[in-house]
Amino acid sequence: MIKQYHFYTSIRIFKAGFKNLFRNLWLTVAATAVMLVALTIISLGVIINITTSSAIDILSRELKTTIILEENVDSQERLAFEASLRNLEYVESVYYVSPSEAQTRLTSNPIIGNDVSQAIALLDGEFLAPSYEVGLNDLSRANDLAAHAESEEYSNVVARVALGKTDTGAQTDAEKAIERAASTERFVTIGSIIAAGTLSIVSVMIIFNTIRMAIYTRRDEIAIMKLIGATPNYIRGPFLVEASLYGVFAGVLANVIVYSLIFAVGSKVSDVQEFAATYGYFTDTYTIILMVLSSITLGVLIGTVSSMLAMERHLKLKRW
Amino acid sequence: MILLDRVTKQYGKSKPALDKLSLHVEKKEFVVIVGASGAGKSTLLKLLTREEKPSSGKIIVGGVDYEELSDKDVPYLRRKIGTVFQDFKLLPKRTVFENIAFALEIVGMSNRQIKHTVPKVIDLVGLKGKADKYPSEISGGERQRVAIARAVVRQPKILIADEPTGNLDPQNAWGVIEVLEKINRHGTTVILTTHNMEIVNKLKRRVITVKDGKVISDKARAGYSRKVAGMK
Repeated sequence: MIKQYHFYTSIRIFKAGFKNLFRNLWLTVAATAVMLVALTIISLGVIINITTSSAIDILSRELKTTIILEENVDSQERLAFEASLRNLEYVESVYYVSPSEAQTRLTSNPIIGNDVSQAIALLDGEFLAPSYEVGLNDLSRANDLAAHAESEEYSNVVARVALGKTDTGAQTDAEKAIERAASTERFVTIGSIIAAGTLSIVSVMIIFNTIRMAIYTRRDEIAIMKLIGATPNYIRGPFLVEASLYGVFAGVLANVIVYSLIFAVGSKVSDVQEFAATYGYFTDTYTIILMVLSSITLGVLIGTVSSMLAMERHLKLKRW
Repeated sequence: MILLDRVTKQYGKSKPALDKLSLHVEKKEFVVIVGASGAGKSTLLKLLTREEKPSSGKIIVGGVDYEELSDKDVPYLRRKIGTVFQDFKLLPKRTVFENIAFALEIVGMSNRQIKHTVPKVIDLVGLKGKADKYPSEISGGERQRVAIARAVVRQPKILIADEPTGNLDPQNAWGVIEVLEKINRHGTTVILTTHNMEIVNKLKRRVITVKDGKVISDKARAGYSRKVAGMK
């Protein structure tokens, strides 16, 4: 019997909330539009943040710090230095490049390979020093690595430290590029947090006002409901449903916009190594469902909070 | 059924709207409360529906002591008391049927039960054939019958009618009173406030006169056969 009561009551509350949407259509459109902009910016902020972080991570892993060793370094001392590098928590990989391997790499370079081969022939011997290529899991620690390598302890082992060489050896400005990307990422993150925060507050204010006006236009009906024995939840319910529906509509529409952009822009950069993984991630069915549900949840939360504030202030259900 | 014991209601520092008023209404009684404007009639009814709380004194309705009644219990109390107002308080965008059904919807009754119950009450108040009309399409007397139907559709033990004939012409007014009498005959305790002395005289019921927040007379009209409740 109680279950039956809740079933019919819930259906009626939902129907009344749905009807309310169309009673003040322009207010509904305005409230949904502002929330749509807020949710779109929040979603785009998250996507740009994840994309740039992922790209930076990929670039960082490619970038190796080269530690050039003394030409006649003692092998025991070299191995002790190598062990000390492996013990550093920000070092991901350590690779020893012998003089002969360094020469092989240079001579196999399609652009300068021939010239190098001729120079080696003239010098008649190995002229490149051995080195270590060190990969970092946190690029910002490159200077710490340099300080470690250049410390007094390893002065017999290390000749100098060269930052910013990649596996391919082609991107000499890679570190600067990564720094620029990292600062862009920070800018995008802070910008999207500020924009999303501001728009969320604006959404709350507009929905607050929409619900306040809905309460005002339905004040006679609310008074009658109170007099004939409606419970506070029965009176609040339709307003909560109405505000939550703004969130549902805005959440769905925001994802339509965001995914239109992802498919339009993403398909053009999906073959670029740095973006391929994130494009694949965001176009995965599971992620799409997660994004839509997250947007809807956030929209419903904004709607619910705003309507609760409006009802608390204007419905006056505490005093009967 | 209803007991008010030395009830005072004071707004601010002004003269009390009700001043140590005591009253006892028996089950199934039909009581008429008369008095000039500002005498305290409406305040009395507002206390009974718990729209207002007394400044002092005790109110017991249907075994419920209002002192022990929390705010969250008020809706459930109001479901046991039907209320009719001078200005009808109907929802203009709902039909006669929907206005009456509204009282059943809020208590979670199924649509099937509502469709079964509402036509019976429409018949009871003499509005057969008007179920699909909007309040703006019917007369004042008919609107008040709709309000009565809404008040009694849940079969409350008590019906409070606050000046229900105040906006009606004599013919419609008497029609409304006849409906209230019919409801009383079905076993509902009716409390009616009115200015209309013609109705008071014609009704032959217990009449309580309120003046300056006090009961100044409580007597049965000639022909009133039911035992009149004792006064404190």
